[in-house]
Amino acid sequence: MNARILVIDDEAPIHRFLKPALAASGYDVLTAENGRQALHLIATAAPDLIVLDLGLPDMDGKDVLAQARQFSQAPVIVLSARDREAEKIAALDLGADDYVEKPFAIGEFMARLRAALRHAARNEKEISHFEVEGLSVDLERRLVNRNGAPIKLTPKEFDLLAILVRHAGKVVTHKQILTQIWGQAHAEDTQYLRVFVGQLRAKIEPSPDSPRLIQTEAGVGYRLCAAE
Amino acid sequence: MNDPNRDRRPDPDALLALTEDGRRGRLKVFVGAAPGVGKTYAMLQNARRLKAEGQDVLIGLIETHGRAETAALTEGLDMLPRRVVEHRGRKIEDFDLDAALARAPKLIVVDELAHTNAPESRHPKRWQDVEDLLDAGVDVWTALNIQHLESLADVVSRVTGVVVRETVPDSVLQKAHDVVLVDITPAELIERLNEGKVYLPETAKRATQKFFTPSNLTALRELALRRTADRVDDQMVNYLRQNAIEGPWETSDYLLVCVGADKGAEIVVRAAGRLATRLNAAWIVVHAERPGHEETDPARLKRLDSALHLAERLGADTRRLIAPEKVGEILRLARRENVTQIVVGRPRKSLWRRLTGAGFVAALADQAPDIALHVVNTPEPPPEKRALAVVRPARLWTGLGAAAVAVTLAVGVGQALTLALDLPNLSMVFLLAVLGCSATFGLWSAVAASFISFLAYNFFFIQPVHTFTVAEPQEVLSLLVFLIVAVLTGSLAGRVHDQAKAASQRAQNIASLYDFSRKLAGAARLDDVLWASVTHLHRAQGGPVVLLLPQEGEVQLQSAWPPDRELSAGEISAAQWAFEKQEFSGWRTNTLPNLAMQFRPLLSPRGAVGVCGFVPKSTEAPLSPEQERELAALLEQMALAIDRSLLIGEAVRAAALEDNEKLRTTLLSSLSHDLRTPLSSITGAVTTLRQFGAQMPERDRDDLLASIEEETARLARFVANLLDMSRIESGALKLRRDYIEPADSVRAAAERIKKTFPRFRIETSVARDLPFIRADAQMLEQVLFNLLDNAHKYGGEAGAIIHARSEGEVVVISVTDDGPGVKPADLSRIFEKFYRGGRADGRKAGTGLGLSICKGLVEAMGGTIEAQSPAARRRGTRILLRFPAARMKVEST
Repeated sequence: MNARILVIDDEAPIHRFLKPALAASGYDVLTAENGRQALHLIATAAPDLIVLDLGLPDMDGKDVLAQARQFSQAPVIVLSARDREAEKIAALDLGADDYVEKPFAIGEFMARLRAALRHAARNEKEISHFEVEGLSVDLERRLVNRNGAPIKLTPKEFDLLAILVRHAGKVVTHKQILTQIWGQAHAEDTQYLRVFVGQLRAKIEPSPDSPRLIQTEAGVGYRLCAAE
Repeated sequence: MNDPNRDRRPDPDALLALTEDGRRGRLKVFVGAAPGVGKTYAMLQNARRLKAEGQDVLIGLIETHGRAETAALTEGLDMLPRRVVEHRGRKIEDFDLDAALARAPKLIVVDELAHTNAPESRHPKRWQDVEDLLDAGVDVWTALNIQHLESLADVVSRVTGVVVRETVPDSVLQKAHDVVLVDITPAELIERLNEGKVYLPETAKRATQKFFTPSNLTALRELALRRTADRVDDQMVNYLRQNAIEGPWETSDYLLVCVGADKGAEIVVRAAGRLATRLNAAWIVVHAERPGHEETDPARLKRLDSALHLAERLGADTRRLIAPEKVGEILRLARRENVTQIVVGRPRKSLWRRLTGAGFVAALADQAPDIALHVVNTPEPPPEKRALAVVRPARLWTGLGAAAVAVTLAVGVGQALTLALDLPNLSMVFLLAVLGCSATFGLWSAVAASFISFLAYNFFFIQPVHTFTVAEPQEVLSLLVFLIVAVLTGSLAGRVHDQAKAASQRAQNIASLYDFSRKLAGAARLDDVLWASVTHLHRAQGGPVVLLLPQEGEVQLQSAWPPDRELSAGEISAAQWAFEKQEFSGWRTNTLPNLAMQFRPLLSPRGAVGVCGFVPKSTEAPLSPEQERELAALLEQMALAIDRSLLIGEAVRAAALEDNEKLRTTLLSSLSHDLRTPLSSITGAVTTLRQFGAQMPERDRDDLLASIEEETARLARFVANLLDMSRIESGALKLRRDYIEPADSVRAAAERIKKTFPRFRIETSVARDLPFIRADAQMLEQVLFNLLDNAHKYGGEAGAIIHARSEGEVVVISVTDDGPGVKPADLSRIFEKFYRGGRADGRKAGTGLGLSICKGLVEAMGGTIEAQSPAARRRGTRILLRFPAARMKVEST
């Protein structure tokens, strides 16, 4: 069965190209121009993935997201602008899975979409093993290898890697990582995170100076490169 | 304090004084015991030496008194030309301060520090000129005879019998960097005098002959030697302090000097000044008054004023206290300032004080056993009618007359009552008279009435009648009791009356102040504040008032009453001085005292905000404490109000900047959103075509290409709007106004919008025979296009109506959409830049510039623009353009 994608945007020209592009990639497409329409469709048509523009005429995109999350676990990709960083992060913390900045090329958008769909599928059977570009992570036995050679990680470094692995291909916000590893009280202490990410990169990246596995999403968080 | 090292640390104040010394010029004073000891000679010799060493030495002024040997010494030295002043037909030569300041040499020699300047000079005294030079960083050498030192003036006149008029404050000598004593023995000096080597003015010869006696000269020489020795001591102490050397320099004494307005005041001040110098102590001179009993007698006020001035010249702080309880207030001040010794004049013993033992000195001694008390002997003043002086003579006589009249009335009433009734005691009737006098005319009238009543009661009503003898012993007693009761009630009531008067005066002042602050509170603009200030101050002070505010460091006249009051050059320089030094100048001050106007700086917490000048009601007497207080309060209010309105001005400017900033932010976010939306569509469509074009049906591909075209056009419109707006704003927009047919523009705009939005339904209705209007055809079309574009944006494809008709001499073009309309509150704002309909989020794409561009263009073409909403059936918005119909002038040949 084709995955069903709901595109929520008030700008007709966006629908005009997204719809044929998604159809050509083999998805079923639903469209909504405002928040109310969107929530109705999320409830009745049960889309597999939601593309949500944050600027809607009738309600705040973040409210749509929050309400949708009460009855749908479908992955959400947020369409946002570069200058609306705070909005973007708020949406991610509210449960959006990823974001794409306008204007975007369709190729990048499609890659994000596939990653989110794949992650959603994986979520149903919890992964225990992960492999990308010669790096292999065994989450159950807490073992990490690169090209067969074992890598020794501290418990905190492993926890950090594990979070990224569980969300492989998706962005994880600073706040999400910080609260999961250090707890709520340290939700704003991004400097911890920079130190640990640096250490982790030094151990797992083939060339830590130009990191490829752990990508920095400036101002937002980190993303672990996922195997296509 | 227990740490001995801590005590030995250099005193920061001493170090500070040292560094301040670095900025100021250095003063060297050549002190001599008498004229003729060779001060000028010594000064010049030293100056020549420095000149020979290549130093920049200027002779500011030297009195050679025609002596050849002194004149010879000035050869080869730079001489400053003297200033010539004409005063009452006489030409006076004097030191030219302004030229000296302009020339700004390294060192200047100015003879005779105690000299009094020509009238209308900048300062009355030469030592003040020297202060200015020092302030300007010029080193000064000067000469001084010891008799001219302020604190020694009375000693000198006592010893020599010559009254010294020209004096120099002790502080000048104290602050001098170097003091050089030029000394010869009295015998030598007298010899020089006899040889004619000492110059003496012809007129003063006899007096001075008397002055140059061996005993006088010896006494003066001793004074000079002692003074310079004291100076050496001071220098030693300073040296020890700066270098933190432990030593017996302990002198933390602080003297408080109480003075009255009597003749002894100056004597007390001088004595205290000498004591302070000997103790190397700071001192403060205090005059205390009870509220309602302030000094009013001009002669006494003048004495008090000159005593306080003298104290200031001698280096003391001065203060006037007003408190109901004088001794308590003085002691409070003493404790606050850590005063160690109190100096008072010996009080005259009044009968009352002798009887009660109560007295000011006794009270001081009683209440402050820990503070040393000096009682200075003051020569017996000539009998002073102090009691009478409190009350103005005119008022006193009225009061006494009233007492006589009141008692006469009481006698009459008493006689009448005795005829009608048989009253054993009529004293109550007389008490009534006493009370009446006291309530109406005050204390002295009441006391007089008491005594007259006492006599009259005795004479008319006590047996034997019509004599002053008293038959019955108990009558004597009742008469005495009557007298005491009368005096007591009378004086009590009188005091209440006096206090009530003082209170009402104060209440008036407070009311005036309140009135003023209310006026100021109502005046937000600086001009209003200045105007309210000068008019109110004029009412309070009586004379002309001016206000000056600084502009780039120079004070300039801003407001005046009378409004045509101009300032002379001298007044302006006094005002500038007051502003820069934050001190009083002009009338009764040390700077330009010849002016009729006094200038005071207006001080706010941020510093001097301006200068207020005023001419007092009477230039003869100083301001009374009451006036002084009122003036100070008014000036303070004024300074705060001026400061406030200046701050408001600054706040308004800041707010305007902030508005600008807000506009910029809005523009930025508007641009980023509205440029990004078409860009997103174009990027998305192009990349979709590249990636999936092959798999797509023909129809979808065409649609994507069409969307790219439309979005590009939309982008172009945004950019065009932005450019138009900036052209309108910068004034670069050139209109070509011509006679045009409105119908043409309407049709052209309708055509263009149809091309842009093919599905948009537009209804056009143009009245026939519309008059021409004068407008730019292209711009009018742009305006109508923008309006239709808006109608499409907010009203949707449903349709819009464009309508043109004439109303009398006006052509009206309207564009009506079928959208949700505009809220009444927003109706006036839709023509503002960056205002956009709908909520901030998810609003319709648009720069928010369309309507404001329309407004700009329409107004530039001489038309008006207006919005109405709802247009019809509670929906829609109608924009109305109105242009005056143009009458074409037909050239008649």
